[in-house]
Amino acid sequence: MNEMTWPPQVPPSMPSVPPPMPVAFTGKRREFFDLVKRGAGLEFVTLGFYRFWLLTDIRRHLWANTLVGGDAAEYTGRGKELLIGFLVALAILVPIYVGYFLIGLEAEHLQAFASIPLVAFFYLFGQFAIYRARRYRLTRTVWRGVRFWMTGSGWNYALRASLWGLLMILTLGLILPWRNAALERYKMRHSHYGDLQGSFEGRGWDFFKRGWWLWLLTPVALYVTPVAPFIYGAYKAIEWRWWLSGIRFGGVRVESTLRKGDLIGLYWKVVGWIVVFGLVFSVYLGLAAVLVASMTDSSFTEFFTSQEFMKSIPLLVLAGLGYLVFALAMNIVIRVYLLRDLWVRVLGSINVSGLEAAANVAARGDLANALGEGFADGLDVGGF
Amino acid sequence: MAMDSASPETQTSERSGPAVYFDGVSSRRRTVTLRLAERLEIGEDGQAPAAWDYQDIRRVDGPAGILRLSSLAAPALARVEIRDEALAAALVSRCTGIDDHMIGRGGVAAIVGWSLAAAASIVAVVLFGLPLIADRLTPLVPEAFERRLGEVADAQVKTMFDAKVCDNEAGQKAFVKLVTAIRESAGLDTSVQSGVLSSSVPNAFALPGGKVYLFSGLLAKAENPDEVAGVLAHELGHLKHRDSMRGLIHNGGTSFLIGLLFGDITGSSALIFGSRTLVTSSHSREAETNADSFAIDVMHRLGRPAKPTGELLLRVTGKEGKGLSIISTHPLSEDRLARMSRQDPPASGPPLLTSEEWKALKSICSAKI
Repeated sequence: MNEMTWPPQVPPSMPSVPPPMPVAFTGKRREFFDLVKRGAGLEFVTLGFYRFWLLTDIRRHLWANTLVGGDAAEYTGRGKELLIGFLVALAILVPIYVGYFLIGLEAEHLQAFASIPLVAFFYLFGQFAIYRARRYRLTRTVWRGVRFWMTGSGWNYALRASLWGLLMILTLGLILPWRNAALERYKMRHSHYGDLQGSFEGRGWDFFKRGWWLWLLTPVALYVTPVAPFIYGAYKAIEWRWWLSGIRFGGVRVESTLRKGDLIGLYWKVVGWIVVFGLVFSVYLGLAAVLVASMTDSSFTEFFTSQEFMKSIPLLVLAGLGYLVFALAMNIVIRVYLLRDLWVRVLGSINVSGLEAAANVAARGDLANALGEGFADGLDVGGF
Repeated sequence: MAMDSASPETQTSERSGPAVYFDGVSSRRRTVTLRLAERLEIGEDGQAPAAWDYQDIRRVDGPAGILRLSSLAAPALARVEIRDEALAAALVSRCTGIDDHMIGRGGVAAIVGWSLAAAASIVAVVLFGLPLIADRLTPLVPEAFERRLGEVADAQVKTMFDAKVCDNEAGQKAFVKLVTAIRESAGLDTSVQSGVLSSSVPNAFALPGGKVYLFSGLLAKAENPDEVAGVLAHELGHLKHRDSMRGLIHNGGTSFLIGLLFGDITGSSALIFGSRTLVTSSHSREAETNADSFAIDVMHRLGRPAKPTGELLLRVTGKEGKGLSIISTHPLSEDRLARMSRQDPPASGPPLLTSEEWKALKSICSAKI
């Protein structure tokens, strides 16, 4: 339909259709590593407040080095916007938390632990946040001097997602492919590039055909933990490929050839680093304990057999500092492997065809605010 | 190479070179020729679709090896992309404000500085403001609300410890006698509810809204009525001071503010839990000390010694050792015993329970006596 309303400069009937254009990534790994390393240090110094600017810098790096049809994208969002979004979300969430507390009190009055179902309300809120955060990111994405934009209602989406969530519980997750397809259709239908409207052609059945055996293996992964990275890696690869291959903007079609095993290595590398850092952290804790014990006047065995070492202030401070460094190191590893490397691997699998439909698109659409990002930050729901 | 594109024949210092131009209105990619004249002239097929003043030009993010520019005066998304390094360098040297919009060292320093200021003020409020707020706010909370809170906590405690109320007739009679004596001496009205719960945990606690519970585990460890009486008086002290309400306001405020600091409003992560424990336990130790003083007063008014209570506590916890117990919620048992033994007059009043009543109380949880 969009091909009809917005004919490409080359008439579609012509046989000489340009070959699919690959997508390229030009960013250097070292540069990204330095970026997240510096960012982690600043996050440490600012007790986390720097996260808004770090997230922005990460996105700027990834977007600017992603070339589609030879032209690089650009991320125009700014850290200050995220900070403001967070503050606004805070102003809205705080009264809601108080209300939640009071309602929970009434419910508990009738029956102990009756307030737990109220968590469902926060699920709804989280889905709203996911939609609005996506809208923010999309309107900050620019390619060839034209921005992407998004319409639709966050609450409408949240309601759909919650109903699908209910079905997920009833079917033990088996319905996931159809849920994702339906929600993605809603999101893509309301996504635009200039005056090209997006759409999603992925079908739940295709996803199911490729991934049903993972659903059967999931209970195994819960008991045999070493299997989990394989299953999760394969699942993510199937999901990425299915999702990308369904994306359309007018006549522009995205295709991905990502294989099931392509992401498993990344997850194993992260697991490896967690083990290494965990060992270093435990050795550090041991050394700190010995150091503190040698400075107290009680004997070694007395120090450890009594509960005294649990109460020693220097040891607590040392352990707290060690934990912070451990958490920051983990953040660096996760960002390098699961943001940057994953991004590059997924991009490498993409082919884009019909790009001539995007050769002369008129700019449209307004910027969305960062409220959704703020909610997502406050409620700790996903997205990057 | 730097001199290649400049043509000496024109006898000017102007340079020119190829670039890609997006006008910000459509996505059309235009191959243009840039001319560095009075302004940056963007020429296409002999025409000039745009010209940018040098002081308006700003650098924007681009891929490696490409200089990408925008202009404050042009449409917001209009872009010029230059691959030619020499041309890019020549252009950059003319644009005075090219990086003015970037967050430089000063910007990062401002973020760090204000973050630290925010952290300092949050910590100050947690340490000094919240105790004051809790003190002022507690008397304003309606009793009915507090009682409701207590009922919620009551239901949860009973579920958590899987505890049943012990109330065989003789035991309950002795318990009521003991509680009434203490309650009257403490100056509390009859709205106070109390009971014995069957649980092996040697503990007793007060819930908001006037409920005091004694676990049978503590009764089992007690050797005389005075020991139990002091514990009950201590818990009534918490009720009198409305400590659980104050603690709730203080705890809630602390985890909220610390959560704010670390960007997690729900206040769940390990770091928040750790720092909150440190702050709130120091506050709780103070409340415990006050409740101890209250218990000592009550016991003395009844003409009974307070020292047995301290002995019971020490029997329950064992020697707690030296060192500053920064994360424990109660003062050290040794110190509490020492306080209770100080200026303890010999018993002048009648015993609180007869030996039969004491026996009945001890076996309040058994079905038959």
